[in-house]
Amino acid sequence: MRRLFGGVTLVGLLTGLVMGFGIAPREATQGNVQRIMYLHVPSVWVAYLAFGVVLVASIAYLVRRAESADRLAHASAEVGVLFTGLTIATGSIWGKPTWGTWWTWDARLTSVSILFVMYLGYLLLRGMIDDRERGARFAAVLGIVAAFNIPLVHFSVYWWRTLHQPPSLMKPGPGTMPGIIVAALLANFAAFTLLYVYFVTRRARLLRLEAEAEA
Amino acid sequence: MPDNWGFVLAAYGLAAVVLIAYWRFLSRREKELEDATAIRHDLRQGSSSHPRSEPASERPSL
Repeated sequence: MRRLFGGVTLVGLLTGLVMGFGIAPREATQGNVQRIMYLHVPSVWVAYLAFGVVLVASIAYLVRRAESADRLAHASAEVGVLFTGLTIATGSIWGKPTWGTWWTWDARLTSVSILFVMYLGYLLLRGMIDDRERGARFAAVLGIVAAFNIPLVHFSVYWWRTLHQPPSLMKPGPGTMPGIIVAALLANFAAFTLLYVYFVTRRARLLRLEAEAEA
Repeated sequence: MPDNWGFVLAAYGLAAVVLIAYWRFLSRREKELEDATAIRHDLRQGSSSHPRSEPASERPSL
């Protein structure tokens, strides 16, 4: 079953690549470097999704003390950090040819860096506390507090003047992108969501096996 | 604007390396834990099917 899901995820990723490089046209202003968008934007979507799941699972853990909820939060945070790192790195690579700089302390870039550091801290906190139950409780509180940064990241481009462009998809009102570009982006959103589910289920299973091995 | 294919390649290459590395980490760790679980299971079965002999030092025979 896991192998089948892995295969479906791989097909999804390949489809996303074909859509992004074969079907979607060359963007008129930026040229082909705009194709980084099909990697960068789905990555940040997965980061939002992962940290949203951390929030829900952390609340569930504090209410019900279910270890499965704690494992889900842990696994999701790890995958979220991975994709936030990818978002920052690919954004930086995209920024150099389009903005002329690898990095600038604008509101979006700064807030997403804070998000990255907060969840990195969440993972470090889990590793630092020997008492499993206590570590899970502290991590759950941090998982809830850190989630307040997600809307800050998303709306930073509206609240402050930034070099980073406003969202093209996840925004109110009619879209401004051509349909074929939206389709390619959505294909990659779907593929990355599958990849997120694949990674999180495997990581959560690993955490269960580790707990059993330690018991 | 020039196409900057090098930047595109760098972004996708980096993502591929990171994602494959994480996938390999998961697979390797999973195998290690499954092997350890199988060994523990075998040991437990072995100890239950072969009852332990009496300790030799319990009472010295005269």
